[in-house]
Amino acid sequence: MLSYCLPPWKGFQSVSGTIFFQQLINGMSLGSLYGLVAIGYTMVYGILRLINFAHGDLLMFAAYAAIYCVTLFSLPWTLSFPVAILMTGLMGIVLDRTAYKPLRNAPRISLLISAIGASFLLENLALVVLGGVPKAFPRPDVFDQVIELWGLRIQVLTIYTPVVTLALLAGLLFIVYKTKAGKAMRAASKDFETTRLMGINLDRIIALTFLLGSSLAAAGGIMWAMKYPQVNPFMGVFPGLKAFIAAVLGGIGNIVGAVIGGFLLGLGEILIVALLPELAQYRDAFAFVILILVLLFRPTGIMGEPLTDKV
Amino acid sequence: MSHFFRAEQLVMRFGGLTAVNDFSISMEPGELVGLIGPNGAGKTTVFNMITGAISATSGRVVWLGEEITQFPLHVIASRGIARTFQNIRLFTDLTALDNVMVSFHHKLRANFWDAMFGLPAYRREERRIKEESLELLQEMGLAHMAMEKAGALPYGKQRRLEIARALATKPRLLLLDEPAAGMNPQETLELVGLVRELRDKYALTILLIEHDMKFVMRLCERIKVLDYGYTIAEGTPAEIQNNPEVIKAYLGSQTHA
Amino acid sequence: MPGASLFGGWRLMERTRRNALLNLLALLALAYALYLFDRYGTDYQVRILNNMAIFITLAVSYNLINGVCGILHLGPNAFVAIGAYTSALLTMSPMEKQMNYIIEPLMWPFSVLNAPFLVALIAGGLLAAFFAFLISFPVFRVRGDYLAIVTLGFGEVVRVICNAFQSVTNGPLGLKGLALHSNLWWTWGVAVVTITAVSKLVQSSYGRAMKAIREDEIAARAMGIDPFKHLLMAFLISAFFSGVAGGLLAHLIRTISPTLFTFFLTFNLLIMIVVGGLGSTTGAVIGAALFAWGGEALRIVEQPVQVAGLKIPGIPGMRMVVFSLILMVVIIFARHGIMGRHEFSWDWLFHKVRFGAARD
Repeated sequence: MLSYCLPPWKGFQSVSGTIFFQQLINGMSLGSLYGLVAIGYTMVYGILRLINFAHGDLLMFAAYAAIYCVTLFSLPWTLSFPVAILMTGLMGIVLDRTAYKPLRNAPRISLLISAIGASFLLENLALVVLGGVPKAFPRPDVFDQVIELWGLRIQVLTIYTPVVTLALLAGLLFIVYKTKAGKAMRAASKDFETTRLMGINLDRIIALTFLLGSSLAAAGGIMWAMKYPQVNPFMGVFPGLKAFIAAVLGGIGNIVGAVIGGFLLGLGEILIVALLPELAQYRDAFAFVILILVLLFRPTGIMGEPLTDKV
Repeated sequence: MSHFFRAEQLVMRFGGLTAVNDFSISMEPGELVGLIGPNGAGKTTVFNMITGAISATSGRVVWLGEEITQFPLHVIASRGIARTFQNIRLFTDLTALDNVMVSFHHKLRANFWDAMFGLPAYRREERRIKEESLELLQEMGLAHMAMEKAGALPYGKQRRLEIARALATKPRLLLLDEPAAGMNPQETLELVGLVRELRDKYALTILLIEHDMKFVMRLCERIKVLDYGYTIAEGTPAEIQNNPEVIKAYLGSQTHA
Repeated sequence: MPGASLFGGWRLMERTRRNALLNLLALLALAYALYLFDRYGTDYQVRILNNMAIFITLAVSYNLINGVCGILHLGPNAFVAIGAYTSALLTMSPMEKQMNYIIEPLMWPFSVLNAPFLVALIAGGLLAAFFAFLISFPVFRVRGDYLAIVTLGFGEVVRVICNAFQSVTNGPLGLKGLALHSNLWWTWGVAVVTITAVSKLVQSSYGRAMKAIREDEIAARAMGIDPFKHLLMAFLISAFFSGVAGGLLAHLIRTISPTLFTFFLTFNLLIMIVVGGLGSTTGAVIGAALFAWGGEALRIVEQPVQVAGLKIPGIPGMRMVVFSLILMVVIIFARHGIMGRHEFSWDWLFHKVRFGAARD
């Protein structure tokens, strides 16, 4: 399945100042996508203590949904993208209800196995239904423009990506910190049982968590598909894994941490290849090496609180 | 100051909260000491610090003349300090017998290869462990349930199995965390006799947490009282019963609850 | 049953001897069956039997970690890869190596090393165990989902290295034309050794300690058990046998490349042990056997079929859809799988037989 991974970066031969700056922007752009997807991991983990393995596949789901909205129903992209995002959000809820909810009281290992099964199911259903041939993503012309900035030629999309990410982050933070539902969410992530005892409908809170997290993943997926306009059933696997690592790097359960982790990971990946081109082939291993280092030296991530074992 | 066991000025802070403040205790071999106090007073936290389940913010624990403060839980256990848990933590899917046999493992002399090849030395040892475990179960009145899964035992029996499992590690100091919780008066009464018997038979020193005052007063020779992390009283059962501080702490906590 | 017959006494001795005899008979029966298949079986049957034995070896050693120790390890594909590449590099002749490595030459000392099959297999297992040892320190610092993702990451790193480290692995081209060393005797021989060794371990005091860690790690530590030591022990043994199975696999299919050792392989192993019953060696054997047989049987859904003159093209991915559904249905509705945590034993069988007879 992983042989379908992304097209490798175009090689960078020499590193001049401008190229370095160019890579910096590329890294920010890639990192903001990781961050967007990482938020969903961190939110679900915060409440259910589960790595939602199928979260990455929601990227793929969103990309296909957007393609079919545009090509099949000839909707304009301004409508297609929100519809695709909403559909993916609902898909997240369906995922929880079918694969995770029946296992709320089961051992953790069962829940995780179910998550892995769900991920494979989504990928292979897509393969069966939609075929394995990559589909071109209809990128709106607006994002195709290239602007010149201090002698750099930058695709508009590269700039939009981090901006959209930060805007979505701000919206999410508003929901989490300023609304009643957000308060219930934070309570549930602190102490699931007590929150239940307080009479809060946890199922709704969990559904909301999946809705929000999956919608953000969808936004990430659509931007990903615009950046690398080849959509295939396995496109979500690598961004998903890396976004999870970004979430760990930022401190799992911490939303701002997830975005920071995403930026760091994206920048790291791009810069290491830019500075040491001979390592380009090992790019996909970089994230995991980071993960191991984080777990060795600071398992709680950058922004995380220390893990405590209940005795 | 005992060379046998003492804890000095143990402090445990969780974030801004001080769960235990300046806790000290010194015990002589064979003593039976009770640790009481209202809920949330920090009693279990004291156990956790002594056994290494959590590491104390400051203070030290000295055991048989050696400081063991920062030792890991399993090392402290293998040095002869065993415990039971307030919220019973048996190996629920293993049989009662296996639960007890597990505790002999840290003293196993046969190495990995002996076990893999089933050498006679290993087989003899395994047989001895099984016999001793059955004896322990017998002693705790659980022999007829040896092959039952621990999770399927009734509550009172689970508490007893926890004690059997702790005894099987061959401890010299035994920490019992609410051994009588959930037992009826009859079972509690039996437990008083049983704990005394065990102490004498296995030359144990026992520190126990219990809410059942009758149980503690009957059994312990000395009692320490904790409230909000502070030690507010210490003395014989008679002294504690008449201590105004203790009465205040208990009545006060009851009105809160 | 009176207590005396339960613990010690001549009846126990007699039973032990009876069981040993039955084990021997079962082995002879297996050997005879293998002999028959070896001589008269079709290629198809022999292939399924070979796969079955390799899957059994893999599932039994994987179950030691996931089922017995209760640790969700997601990187056995890495150990299989290490074993496969190591043993392949050892059995290939210098000529074959030269023919394979056309883009970048194979680096020294791999270019000159050469060993007989058995040595190559063991070397593959040992190297896999060595890598398991190296990663055990970061891996066992964490538990649960974190551990799952670290081990998954390790599997990915090994795959990336297989692809990129061309002067050792020959990159994406892989190694072709390996000698066909594996046969029914080798694959089933290794499977029997693995089952025996893992069962011995699980039934020993060490295995009991591992199960205690699975049930409640803090309680196990409070009883003096060092989790790291025991998890490491299980991890090394599991990696060793996975590595050996990798070597068998390489010399059975005779062509290896990085795509063979993706997370997909781990996923298949996970299905086997979940369906068989997490924590049961017997279950792992049954799960692996079912998978080897069912996996082949399910191939038809991906092949073009002719129905009433209509040609329906095969649907790629259909098999995996079925597998994922099986995994999810089992884990959600029948979490204990076929065997739960029960094991087959002769005593159990006799008890059943006698109980059944008494009822008639």
